[in-house]
Amino acid sequence: MLSRVAHSLYWLSRYLERAENLARLVDVSRYDALDTSNEDNEETWRPILYATSTEDTYREAREKEDGDLDIVSFITFSDANPDSIRQCIAHARENARMVRDQISEEMWLELNSIHLFMQSGEAEDLWRRQPEAFYRELIKFCLLFEGLIDATILHDEGWQFIQVGKFLERSDKTSRILDMLTYVNEPERSQLASALRSCSGFSAFRDEFRGDVTLQNVMAFLLFSQSFPRSVRFCLRELDQVLHAISGTPAGAFSNEAERITGSILAQLNFSSIDNVWSVGLHRYIDELQKQLNLIGQEVFETYVLLPSEIKNLPRLESWQMQWQQSQQQQ
Amino acid sequence: MLFWENTLCSMFEKYQKESFFDEMFAGEDHHVFPHYEILLERFGRLDETEVTEKQRRVNTGFLEQGITFTVYGDDRGTERIFPFDLIPRIIPDAEWQTIEQGLTQRILALNLFLNDIYHEGRIIKEGVVPEDVVKTAAHYRPEMLGVNVPNDIYIHICGTDLIRDDKGKYLVLEDNGRCPSGVSYLLENREAMKRAFPRMYRGYGVRPIDHYPELLLKTLQHASPRPGQSPVCVLLTPGVYNSAYFEHTFLARRMGIEIVEGRDLIVLDGFVYMRTTKGLVQVDVIYRRLDDDFLDPLVFREDSMLGVPGIMEAYLRGNVALANAVGTGVADDKVTYAYVPDMIRFYLDQEPILENVPTYLAWREDDQKYILENLSKLVVKAANESGGYGMLMGPTSTSAEREEFAAKIKDNPRNFIAQPVISLSRHPTICEDHAIEGRHIDLRPFILYGENIEIIPGGLTRVALRKGSLVVNSSQGGGSKDTWVLYR
Repeated sequence: MLSRVAHSLYWLSRYLERAENLARLVDVSRYDALDTSNEDNEETWRPILYATSTEDTYREAREKEDGDLDIVSFITFSDANPDSIRQCIAHARENARMVRDQISEEMWLELNSIHLFMQSGEAEDLWRRQPEAFYRELIKFCLLFEGLIDATILHDEGWQFIQVGKFLERSDKTSRILDMLTYVNEPERSQLASALRSCSGFSAFRDEFRGDVTLQNVMAFLLFSQSFPRSVRFCLRELDQVLHAISGTPAGAFSNEAERITGSILAQLNFSSIDNVWSVGLHRYIDELQKQLNLIGQEVFETYVLLPSEIKNLPRLESWQMQWQQSQQQQ
Repeated sequence: MLFWENTLCSMFEKYQKESFFDEMFAGEDHHVFPHYEILLERFGRLDETEVTEKQRRVNTGFLEQGITFTVYGDDRGTERIFPFDLIPRIIPDAEWQTIEQGLTQRILALNLFLNDIYHEGRIIKEGVVPEDVVKTAAHYRPEMLGVNVPNDIYIHICGTDLIRDDKGKYLVLEDNGRCPSGVSYLLENREAMKRAFPRMYRGYGVRPIDHYPELLLKTLQHASPRPGQSPVCVLLTPGVYNSAYFEHTFLARRMGIEIVEGRDLIVLDGFVYMRTTKGLVQVDVIYRRLDDDFLDPLVFREDSMLGVPGIMEAYLRGNVALANAVGTGVADDKVTYAYVPDMIRFYLDQEPILENVPTYLAWREDDQKYILENLSKLVVKAANESGGYGMLMGPTSTSAEREEFAAKIKDNPRNFIAQPVISLSRHPTICEDHAIEGRHIDLRPFILYGENIEIIPGGLTRVALRKGSLVVNSSQGGGSKDTWVLYR
C-alpha cells in the first residue's frame, strides 16, 4: 500500500473518531447545563475547551468576533477552530477524497453527504432548533461509518491503518475526558456521571461497578477496564494487535518504536492499579500518557510514511518532509 | 410526416432549429433525422415534471458521488457538477466510421511528426513545416532531441476536438496531446443515461464504451521498459486540488492501479520507485496528468512541488515510461495545428479525411494583415492556451477588446492564430426553464495509441449552455451530453 494512502486512511479515521467524541462530549455537557443554575456560559463550557486544547484558539477567535462567540458553536461549526466538528468532517472527507479508490462507495457516499449537510445552512438550522437531534444525527453517522468500515472493505492493511487511527484517537479522547475531572477540585457525582456518558459508558460502568460512582471507580473503569471498548487499556490492546498485524511481528516482540511504546504502555496498564495513578497524581499521569500516545502517532508516521532509512540521501528531503507534515495537523 | 405530427408533444412543440445545422432536425420542413426518431417519440411522452425529476435524480447522483470539478479562482475551492443534459447526441454508424478513420490518420501523423522533429527533422528539411514554428512552440522540449521513446509513440492518449459547421461537415478544431481530460464524464454520463432511460437505451443499439479503462491500461502496459514482466503502472496526479482530480481517481480505480502524487515517488540511481508501507516498489509506466513544466523541478520549473526530482533522468535513461511523452505539447500548439493536413500528406501520403478549420497564422505577413483588418469577423486564439482562455470572439467583442488583441498580435505574432467563426451545429438541449432549445455542441473523442489504435465509440459531447454561446468549456459555462454511436 502507498504510504500516502495509509497516512490518509489513518487521518480519515482519526478525524471521524474525533468528531464523534466531540459530538458526544458537547451533547452531554449541553444536557448537563440544563441542570445548573449557573448563568455563566463560560463556566460550563470551559472544561471542554480545556479537554480539546482549544482555549487559545477560542480566545483568538473571540477577539476577532469582538468578544461575542458562543463556545458551543465554536466547537461545532467554527472554521476558525481547526478541530471543530465541521472541520473534522471536512478534513476526513478531504482525506477520503485522496483515497477514494481505497474505500467503498458506501463509505464515500455517506461521508460526502454528511459533509455537504454540515456545510449547508440546514445543519445550523437543525442545531438551533433541535440541538439534541442534531448531535444524535452526527453520532449516528459516525457509528454508521464505523459499521461501513467493518462491513464493506477488505480487512487488510488499509483497514488496519484505519484501526490505528481510531484507537489512538479514542484512547487520547478518553484520557482527555478523564483529565477534565482534574479541572475541578472535588468532582461531583454529576460530573463523574457526565464523564462516563461522554464516553458512552454509563451503563457499562454500572455493570462493572454496581453503580458506585466514585472518582476512583470512574478512573479505574476508563483507564483499566478489560472489556469496555473505550477504556484506554482496551484501545491500547487493539492498537498493539493491529500494529503487529501490519508489520507481521509476533506478539510480545517489536520491530519499530510505535510497537515498542504501545507495548510498554499496555504492559503498564495491564499490571498497574489505581494506586499507581494516585501516587503520581491523575493529571500528571494523564499528561504523561498523552505524550506517549503522541509519540506513537509520530513513530507510525516515521515507520510507514517517511521511511527515513531508505531515503536518507534524497535531494530536497527537508522540503518534502515539511510538505507531508503540513498536510495534516496533529492535536 | 405522420409520425412526426402525432408525437410532437409539449417538449418539442416550440423547438426552433433556426438557420443552424441541427443534429436532430433537417431541412425547411423540420423533419427529424431517422436516427433521432425513437428519441423524439420517447421525449414526446414525457412532461416537464418527469424531465425535472429525472434531471434532479441525475444531478443528485453526480453530486453525491463527488463527480465534480473545482473552479479555479474560487478561494473556497467550490466543487461543482459538470452540468449534464438529458437529451443524448446520436451518431449513426456510417458517420462514426469516417470520424474514426480520420482520427486514426491524424494520430499516426502527429506521432510521426513528433518522432521526426526530435530526431532527423525531415519535415523541416524538406520545407513542409518551418523550423521556427517547431522550435518556438512553447512546449517544444530540446531535452527530447535524439531520445528514443518506447515504440516511437509520443501521444498515447489524445483528445481531439471536433465540431460541425453549418453544413454538418465535421472539422477538427484542436488536438489535445498533453493531458486531455473529460473521459470520466463520458463514462459517468453513460451510466446516468442508462439509469434514466433504460428502455430507450436498450432499444437504440448503442455501442458500449465502458471498456475504456481496460484499453487505457493495455496502452500503458505496452509502453513498459520491462517487457515480459508484469509492468507496474501508476497514475500521477497533481493532487486533490486539481480540477480533474475526480477523473484521476476514477481512472486509477477502474484500471486497478495506484494513483500517486509527486511525493509518493522518488528516484534512486536513475530508477523511479513509489513509497509504500512495505518499502520502495519500482515503477515502470507513469500515466501522468501533470504538464511537462511541473514534472521535474531539477529540469523544468524549479518551484514545482508537484513533480518528482530526478524523474527526467530516469525517463531519458529509458528506465521509466511516461504517457504521454515529454514534449508532445508542440502538437497542441495552434500554429502547428495548421500544418497537420500537410503532415498527413507528408508522412502518410494520404489526403486528410477530417479537415481543419481554415486558419490564419499571424506570423505570416499576409495573414496578419487579413486578421487585423477582419478582427470583428474572426476568432483569435493564443497559440498555447486552452480551456477557452486567451481568446477573442470577434463578432461579440467590444472595440476595446479588439484593440487589445490587435496590439497583442503585433507584439507577438507567433503566438496568435485566427479562424473564421464557425457556426457550430446545434442540438436540442433542455434549458433553464425546461424548454427544449438548440444549443451549440462539439465532440471530443478519445484516441488511444498502444499496440493498436483504439477509439471508444463517440466521445464527450460538450454543450454551450448559454444561449447563443459558442464556448463549450466547462470553465466557461459549458455542460455535456451522453454520446451514442449506434451499431447500425
